[in-house]
Parts: sequence; structure tokens; C-alpha cells
Amino acid sequence: MAESVAGPGRARGKDSKGEAVTSTNGFNRRTFLTRGAAAGGVVVLGAAGLSACSSSSSSPSTTAGSTGTKPSSGSGTPVRGGSLTVGTIAEIDGFFPATNHWDTNGFLYANTVYDPLMAVAADGTIKGYLAQSMTSNATYDVWTMTLRPGIKFSDGSDLTSAVVKANFTVLADSALAGKALAQVASVATPDDMTLVYTLTGPNPTFPSGLTTQVGYVVGEAMIQKAASNYAGTLVPVGTGPFVYSEWQPNDHFTATRNPNYWRGGLPYLDQITFKPIPDTTQREATLRSGGVDMIESVDPNTITNFEGSGGSGFQLVDTRTGVIGQPTFSFIMLNNLLPPTNDLGIRQALAKGMDQAEVQKVLGGPPAKPATGVFLPDSPYYSDTHYPTYDPAGATSLVKAYKARHGTPSINLMTIADPLAIKEVQAVQQMWEQVGFQVSITEVEQATIIDDFVLGNFHAVTSYQFGEVNPDLNYVWWSTTTISPIGQIGLNFTRMNDPLLEKAMLTGRHTTDESTRVTAYQTVNERLVKNLNYLWIEQYLFSEVASQRVQGFDHWTFPDGTPGYGFDEGIFVPTQTWLAQ
Amino acid sequence: MARYLLRRFLQLVVVTFIISVLIFLLVHLLPGNPADVILGSSDTPHNRAILDAQLGLNKPLIQQYGTWLTALFHGNFGQSYLNHESVTHIIATGYPIDLELIVISQVIAFAVAIPLALVTSRRPNRAVDNVATTATFGMLALPPFVIAPIMVAVFAVGLHWFPATGYVPLTQNPGTNLHDMILPSLAITAGSIAVYYRLFRSDLISTLQEDFVTMARSKGLSPRWIMWRHAFRPSSFSLLAAAGVNIGALIAGTFIVEYLFAINGLGFELVTAVQQRDYLVVQGITLVVAVAYVVLQFIIDFIFTIVDPRVTRE
Repeated sequence: MAESVAGPGRARGKDSKGEAVTSTNGFNRRTFLTRGAAAGGVVVLGAAGLSACSSSSSSPSTTAGSTGTKPSSGSGTPVRGGSLTVGTIAEIDGFFPATNHWDTNGFLYANTVYDPLMAVAADGTIKGYLAQSMTSNATYDVWTMTLRPGIKFSDGSDLTSAVVKANFTVLADSALAGKALAQVASVATPDDMTLVYTLTGPNPTFPSGLTTQVGYVVGEAMIQKAASNYAGTLVPVGTGPFVYSEWQPNDHFTATRNPNYWRGGLPYLDQITFKPIPDTTQREATLRSGGVDMIESVDPNTITNFEGSGGSGFQLVDTRTGVIGQPTFSFIMLNNLLPPTNDLGIRQALAKGMDQAEVQKVLGGPPAKPATGVFLPDSPYYSDTHYPTYDPAGATSLVKAYKARHGTPSINLMTIADPLAIKEVQAVQQMWEQVGFQVSITEVEQATIIDDFVLGNFHAVTSYQFGEVNPDLNYVWWSTTTISPIGQIGLNFTRMNDPLLEKAMLTGRHTTDESTRVTAYQTVNERLVKNLNYLWIEQYLFSEVASQRVQGFDHWTFPDGTPGYGFDEGIFVPTQTWLAQ
Repeated sequence: MARYLLRRFLQLVVVTFIISVLIFLLVHLLPGNPADVILGSSDTPHNRAILDAQLGLNKPLIQQYGTWLTALFHGNFGQSYLNHESVTHIIATGYPIDLELIVISQVIAFAVAIPLALVTSRRPNRAVDNVATTATFGMLALPPFVIAPIMVAVFAVGLHWFPATGYVPLTQNPGTNLHDMILPSLAITAGSIAVYYRLFRSDLISTLQEDFVTMARSKGLSPRWIMWRHAFRPSSFSLLAAAGVNIGALIAGTFIVEYLFAINGLGFELVTAVQQRDYLVVQGITLVVAVAYVVLQFIIDFIFTIVDPRVTRE
């Protein structure tokens, strides 16, 4: 039976071509890119999913430069040919979804040489991409996927259900990605084009998990090679619009047009090259001097720099508006197992002792929406959480109470070695010391901070995460099932152990009733604030700046013409990008 | 001289051996098992088995060193654990960049510093000397990470004369390569100009006050002849020694400039590898840099024997 579930504000049922429209689950995608973003060990396991936010617009914000820069969304007739060069923030560690850690850059590379099984449409619905359809039984615990016929990998092999299952098997064996697939009890392949996923329990939103890292399909030859030899992760074999040409890590990755791409007439570009330029100022200067055609950024100052007269001749796209679902937030994580942050009173003191507005000023850039939980007020899942406001007197009182029992609380505040992040923690350090804490700062490198997250080696640490179109994609980060002792791998980084939160998340996952889901995720939001393992700061902004000749970089469509989610938290799809003459 | 050089060469071999031992121990001095550090969150039995085999961690330390050394002699430095690239390849692509940066920047530095010192030392504390001294003092105070963005803003973004970032190998396109390398080279050359100029100028001034120079003047020799034939060589010892130290520091020491201009020299690769705990890359590059430094000092010693044969006396 072909059932589908819609989030608020979107239609149920099938699309215009009779393809099943479904919903969500899975994993977070752009997880913990820490501010400053070097690629290194970012554990990113997927994202995208169900439409969760009826008030979100379907396209991202495109800002015109002062000289009348047009939005890039493919205005005009696409022109075939040309070579696009993109300045990226950092390098990736490989192309194999099962073992490599994809951040925003990882997904840029993946969208170049691979296709996902499912993808997010501009209206927030989940539609098949490599999959022609995906339907569930009445209880949402058995999902049947039919693949599109006639699709070939870059090595000439066919996309079949056996290959997709082989991908699933290596992903399920993966130390981290496997957690996202733990709800799948078995996968059957009744014929060459059909897969049947049997889940451990009902999940109406399961397909959205296949829009994430675990939904990108690589060829059988690559699986064989990558599973036995790390060198096998270096050369992708995919069905994507471009094929691997050359990769010199930290210098450039070049892919050329796939002449046998299954979507006839696409891509438009002959070649695409990604050049990591880690320094934001230099990346911007390279764009301005014509060294690259477009750049990505997670520095809010990029938005300021390219708005108004500074953006003359350039197109700016950013995530201040147009985010589907919940945006990425910046916050400080507090460890639930290590003293003194294992004490709720201390976490309350830290929350009350941090002036959120002042921290936002330190972070600079354009005004970002302040966060008081994991949903913004325009989300249906938002509820007034009564998140603690700045109250230094209250914080001081709580610290004194703790001090009487255990002595002066000493907090180590960790961040990555990045100027902006360091400014942020220095401001927070000053605030916390004023209310009676002893605060030391530790700067660590991007690659190692991920291990500290996973192993729980922190008191307090800056991070950003949780931008998803479906809140269920964040399940693993807060679940009681992903808690591990300090020093062991656990995806519940804070080690927050809340059965009520777990129950609400599972209710949100399993229910088919929208009002029940809304209530469940409102409870999730409230529990997160009650536990105070996250001190919320603000929405985290992604941006992309392109020269005038780059067209369609925030615009792509499904094979049936349905518009896709163009600029998903810093990630674009180059399939329909083209260069104006 | 041959005996002196032979002794220096033997010292070089001993120092290289000691360095190789220390660098090998680098991984083993890490707290805990190196595999724990390298694997981090990717620590699965499968990955651990591969890493143990790759590093030979289950063998005695001395045997591991022997295996590592043998592999080095075969040009095998292992592979990056992060992106699985061959360390030999990383070094092979990185060292020409450092070499080119060093050569261009030092040629510019000598070409500016030496003539300037020759001119100003003849009339110290005059206007030209004061201007040059003040200017070089300013250069000394401006680190590359300040100079580089200024040059990029003016010459790349403003005038579009040079690219802001990027690099094309010399073998691929010599013209574009030189064009790409001008700004990075200029960014690191300022400090060298200042050091060389100030050292050489003060040594020249000192030499020009020596008795043998007074004698030469009294014989009616021209100032230019005196400068080139009598003052230049004895004044160049400090310059030579400083050049040895300075060039040695630039081997893999140009990280800031490489980072800012997004060119992947050894410095960039080394710092990136340290940040990412990519120890096989750190090990390989550190060894190459250390050996290069030792060889450079040997070359400087050799040049000293030509400039001042007295150094070879027992």
C-alpha cells in the first residue's frame, strides 16, 4: 500500500507522476562543523527529510548586490559548457559514505559524483531521486523502494537493488553511520529493481533518512575496493552528473561532465573544480580577483561583506531565510557525566550567567535569530521553553550554593583554534567568572574536537548542529540508546540521560497523527531546555557567494521537474548549474 | 679542507641517524596506543587491524624501526591516515613549492639587501642610510601575515595583477607558476631583506674601519675596488651564517604564507597533518625537513671553507 505522510503545510499522497511522496528519519547531515571549519573529522551522517515547518519559504534568501545583481536561480536559458571553480572552506577525507566524514564540503563533492536515493523538494516533501518510488505498509514498518531503470555507474555497471543493498550492508557495519540504520531489521531484494526495508518498529518518516549520507549510492566495485583498502575511498564510482577526474587533497578536486548521465541533457557544465581555501578573507579575495567563480562560507561576516555596495557584481545566497524545517544553531554543550556540569544547578548557573545578546554581538555578522531551544518561534514544534534569561545575581546564588557543598566550580571551556570561536569563549569566560566560576579555555584543532565530542572528553564546548527538515533526524544525538561512558564512542555527546525525552522522540517518530507529533516535539524542546545540556546562542548562518555569470546554483529539479531544496544549509547541487556567456 | 668536509659529513650522518630515531619515536611517545590516537572515532576492529598491519604495531620496537627505515630507503613513507594519500607523494608535491618560495624570496632578498648595504655603508648615518635603516626596521616589524593580505588587497583584488590564491606547478606552466609565486615570495622576503641588510651593513661598516682597508686607501685604491676586493668577503661571514639559519627556518616554515595563499607546500602539509593528528605524514615531512636542514648546514659549511679557508684549520 502506498501511504505517505505529510508534515504541516504540505500535501499528502503522490506527486504529479504518481511517485510516492513520503517522510522522514535518519541522521543529521551537517552536524558538528565547528566554527572555522576545517574538514577533518566532521562526523556527518546525513540530513534532510520531512517538511517540518509550514512557514518556511521554499527557496533560500538571495540578496542582490547594489548594482542590481539578479538572483541566480536559473533565469534565462541554460547554456551548456564551461568550467566552474568553487572555493571551499576545507577538504574532505574521502568519498566513501560508510567510512568517510562528510561535512558541507563532503556533500558538495557527493552531489557532484553521486546521487541520493531520496531528496528533499523545495516544498519540504521527500521524493525519490535514484528511487522511482518508496511506499510503506499500513503500519509503516515495511518500506518498499523501486529504483529507476536504466541508471549506470561511472564504471558502466548497472544500478540494481543488489548494489543498493551492498551499500546498506557496509553502512550498517560502520561504527558511526551504522547507528542511523539501527532501526532497519532487514533488507530484502525481491527483484533487480526492488528493495524491501523491514524496520524494528513503525516509522512514517523513514525515507527522509535516505536523503542523508547513508542514502548516497556508490558502485559495487568501489565498495569492494574501499572495504579492503583505504585507497579505494579516494576514487568515487557513482551515478552522479560528473565523474572523477583528479583529486589533489588540499589543493583541488576536479570532476568532468558524465557523458552517460541518466538525466538526459544534464549536467550543463563541462567541468567543476573545488579548491579548498581555508582562510575566509583570502577566499573572498580570490573570488573578488576572479580566481574562483563562487565561494562557500560559514563566517557571518561574509554576508556583511557581500551585502550592499560590497556585493556589487556578486550574488549572495544565505540561510537567514528560506530554511526548511529547523536551522542549524550555535550553542555550548555541557557534559552530563563530568563534574561540575553533571549538576543541574551548575548548568542553570551557567545558563543564567551567560548574556546571550552579548555573545551574539561578539560573533558579529548580520543579526541572527537568537535561540531558546532547538526550534524557532515560526516552527510548529516551537513552544515557550522558559529558557533562562541573563540573571547574574541568580547565577551567583546558585554557584554559592554549589561552592558550599563542593568548593569553587571549575569549568574547562573548549573550542576550536579559530579567532572568532576564541573571541566567543573569551567573552563567555569573562561572564562566568563574574558569577563565581573558575574558567579555563582549551583550544583544540577541528579534527580532534570531533573525537572529544564522541568520547565525551569535555566540560563545556562550543559547537553548532541540529539543522534538519525533520526533528527525528536528530534522534541519535539525544537518545538514551546512544549514551556511552566517558572515553567510549557515544553519539549522545552530552551524555544527557532523559527517559522522558527519549519517549517524546520515539512518539514523534512513530506517530501518524500530526497533532501528536507536534506535541511530542514540543515536549522534546521543553526537555532539552529543562536538562540544560545545551546553552543556546543563535541560528548558525551558511552563505554562498557567486560571480554574476554563475546561474542556477541554488536551483535544481527532480527528473519530473519538481523543484528541489536549492540551498540546503550551505550545500548546493551542481547538476543544473550553468555559466552565462 | 677535504678532511674538514669529511668530518662534517660524518657528523651529518650521525645527526641524521639520531633525528630518524627521534622522529620514529614521535609516534610511540604519544600517550596511550598510537592507534587510539590515529583512529579516534573510527576505531573499529577492521580499521584497527589494518592500522596495526600498516604500522607494524604488534612487533618489537627495534623491529618496527628497522622496517620503517628499510621502507624509507625504498622511498615508502607510508600513507596519510586521513586521506590515504601516499606520504611520498605529499612530500614530492610539496617540496618544490617550498624550494621555489625559498629560492625566489632569497634571490629577491639578496638582490635588494646587498646593493643597499654596499651603498649605505660607505656613508653611514646619512640620509640614504637613515631611510634604508628605518625602512628595513619597518619590514622587520611586519610579519608575513600582515604583509600578505595588504598585497592581496592591492595587487590581486584592486589591480588584478596577480592571483589572490592558487598555484600552478613549474613543470606545468612556468609563466603562470612565476606569476602565482610573486606575491607569496614577496610576503616572506621582507623579513629576510631586513635581516640581511642590517647584518651586512654593520659588518661592512666595521670592516671599512679595519687597518687593512686604511692601508688600501692610503695606497690610492678606488673606493669601489676596496669595497669589492677587500671589504666584501670578510664582511659576508655573518650574512652567510644568517642566510643558513634563515633558509633553514624557511624549509617548511612558510606555513602562514602557504595557508593564506592556499598553496600546499611542506609547511602547509606539516601543520595540517599536526592539526589532524596525521602522524605518518608528520613523521615523513619532519624527517625530510630535518635532513634538508642538516644538508643545508653542510652546504653552508662548505661555502664557509671557500669564503674563509681558516675555518678548516684544526
